[in-house]
Amino acid sequence: MLSLSSMAPTNPFEDPLRFERQVPPCVVVIFGANGDLTKRKLLPALYRLAYDRRLAAGFAIVGISRTPLSDDQFREKMRESVQQFSEDTPLDPAVWNDFARALYYVAGDIADAALYRNLASKLAAIEAGAHTGGNALFYLSTQPSQYAPIARGIGAAGMGKGNGWRRLVVEKPFGHDLASAQKLSDELHEVFDEAEVYRIDHYLGKETVQNILAFRFGNGIFEPLWNRRYVNHVQITGAESIGVEGRGAYYQEAGALDDMIQNHLLQVMATIAMEPSASFRATSVRDERSKLLRSIRPMTPGEVRKNAVSGQYGPARIGGKDAPGFRQEPGVAPDSQTNTYAAVTFFVDNWRWAGVPFYVRTGKRLAKRVTEIAIQFNSAPLHIFNQDGAGDSPNLLILRIQPEEGISIKFLSKRPGSGMTLRPVSMDFNYGSSFGERSPSAYETLLLDAIVGDATLYTRQDMVEASWSVVEPIQNVWRESRFDFPNYPAGSWGPAAADEMLARRGHVWRKP
Amino acid sequence: MSATVSPDRILKQLADLWTAEGRQGDAGVLRACSMTLVVIAEVSDDPSALGETLAALMPEHPARTILVRLSGDGERALAERVYQQCWMPFGQRRQICCEQIEITVSDAALADLPSVLLPLQVPDLPVILWCRSARLTDLPERRELAGIATKMVFDSTNAPNPAQALGRLRDACGKGLLVADLAWTTLTRWRESLARLFDNRDYLARLAEVQSVRVAFPSGLASAAWYLAAWAANALGRAPSLVPGASALRLELSSQGFSVSLAREDDRLVTTVDGKSSCASLPAPTGYLLMREELAIVRRDPVFERTLELAARLAVHSSSEG
Repeated sequence: MLSLSSMAPTNPFEDPLRFERQVPPCVVVIFGANGDLTKRKLLPALYRLAYDRRLAAGFAIVGISRTPLSDDQFREKMRESVQQFSEDTPLDPAVWNDFARALYYVAGDIADAALYRNLASKLAAIEAGAHTGGNALFYLSTQPSQYAPIARGIGAAGMGKGNGWRRLVVEKPFGHDLASAQKLSDELHEVFDEAEVYRIDHYLGKETVQNILAFRFGNGIFEPLWNRRYVNHVQITGAESIGVEGRGAYYQEAGALDDMIQNHLLQVMATIAMEPSASFRATSVRDERSKLLRSIRPMTPGEVRKNAVSGQYGPARIGGKDAPGFRQEPGVAPDSQTNTYAAVTFFVDNWRWAGVPFYVRTGKRLAKRVTEIAIQFNSAPLHIFNQDGAGDSPNLLILRIQPEEGISIKFLSKRPGSGMTLRPVSMDFNYGSSFGERSPSAYETLLLDAIVGDATLYTRQDMVEASWSVVEPIQNVWRESRFDFPNYPAGSWGPAAADEMLARRGHVWRKP
Repeated sequence: MSATVSPDRILKQLADLWTAEGRQGDAGVLRACSMTLVVIAEVSDDPSALGETLAALMPEHPARTILVRLSGDGERALAERVYQQCWMPFGQRRQICCEQIEITVSDAALADLPSVLLPLQVPDLPVILWCRSARLTDLPERRELAGIATKMVFDSTNAPNPAQALGRLRDACGKGLLVADLAWTTLTRWRESLARLFDNRDYLARLAEVQSVRVAFPSGLASAAWYLAAWAANALGRAPSLVPGASALRLELSSQGFSVSLAREDDRLVTTVDGKSSCASLPAPTGYLLMREELAIVRRDPVFERTLELAARLAVHSSSEG
């Protein structure tokens, strides 16, 4: 039986109505501290959290990389990064000085056991001096091939367990197919329990993706329409107007299908299509996302050929400037078969969505940068106003994720004047202008969630495996195919085959 | 100045404004509204500064704003003007607009004000009454105005008699009204900093040792000091001591072997634990920042209500000592 004396005292100064949520003290250990992600995203996000007083008093960061640096040299490098990459946060000298005092550095080779012994000593010293409560968050901002060796090094040095909690954050890709994803999870589980592994998908940290949950489950009027009886089809677009921007060598190994659809867009699809969860607890929400991913019908090779389109951009002239094709990008083979565009028709085999196509597309060098979900509803059963064809215009619900976050509903309205002429009108909710408050970056949200122990927006092993199970049959067919690339010019909306894929079901892609 | 205003005429003018706005340009306007915000201010209240504050609040809390200007003594007078507050979100083609109504009213016509405000409320949305006029708390019409409000916001710092203002707020709160005092709102970042400090288990364990809660304050910050002292005292179950005449607001919790203090130094909040200091950015709270926080809370606020109860008693005690 629990005695009163054994219960932890509660903080009497709490005011949950007005205060930001409680953040425990901890040390964040960043492997790959000299890398681009650390400089561009992680440190600016952590500094912003400090600037907003969102971090606990007992907070420290340890950067790890091969380059020999002193703590002070590391602090100076990070100050430069924060200054350069914090878009909307001033470098306040007083706040920075406090923040920088909690920055430490350990140099070493990830394969060398001495690195982990040094790190363990450093963590012990920090825990004693900075009151981090024994809590440690290990962030792996390294090559995926180093995830398992680092986890093993942490475990071998006894840092996998401690006085407080231990968590491991890993960046995508989580494997390159189902088998490698399972192998990676097994290797991480040698040291960390699944509940301690946080697989980050920065798409889920975006405010507007979270707003999908608020929109669906905070309102009573939409959910009754959210099923096969009313929804005709769903289009999910993740389009980029830029090319591979010097990442040709990396991208050649990944491609659009693995880089975007397997993780980001399938997670967005799961958020759109999942069943209501019983609560907003991490387990509950992730269970529903996982169930949805497992309900996506895997395709046979024959179905892949009909329901998946691969593309690669060729050179074009955009706005008076020459844009190179993918094969002309540095580091890309002149006969590369890598897909820079992928469009897939998915079906969800459950009662809610049976027979409703989910069209998912992504690509580099498309006409514009836009990420959105368009839900097209069935037309009215009888078109009594159909004089000029406007009555055929179906209702659309558009959830825009970037760049102009918001929600639009398209419906028909009578044109003013005599006669019953209808025209489509759009009712818009603009997230940015209806709420003028600065939205936190995805990394601010996700880092804070990991420190607090809220895994709602993180991807679980079963979710990763479910999405690989869906994508792998497509990978297998495409790997054995020889494509006539390039098949779409830079600056267009993708290959004609993608339009034909929708046309077979009487649908057309939106041009967002 | 006219002696009557017609709510119907105001509503017609608003409708005409939207129609005219919609005809301009091809991108159209977006009407946004999440509440009715009634602001009661003296005519002497700087109109441009107030206008800027209201404009800044609109993107996050779009509202139909009814600005009531009290023109004071003189013959019975009541007049109105209707306009829009619009802004173009960065990088977008469409304007976002909110409605604004300005009503000027003399003291002699103040009794007519509630009957004008009532039909101008946006249906189904909360009505927030922001009372910037310190004088209004002494006028009998305040009760009827309170009757139309979902929440009333005052600032006891500006009240001629802050102790009396806290007493009235406590009474209003006791009757079930949602009330807020911006003197309390200024303390949120202070309170949060202190709370975060005691997330540290070692410090939290030592909190029971604290014997003394002391708040030093300069003139003009008496109500903030009463609130801070009352809040800390409620949390710790210790009687607070108040020390007027300080150069800046300062909270000290101490025992024989442990001390914590929070003090403002320029634009920073300095936290000191056993002699070791750290600081965080704490710009002087603007009317916009304070109202932004209060407009986000349209429900009971148990921590504030508990604090108000004790702060009102501390205020009476301090005033009788002074």
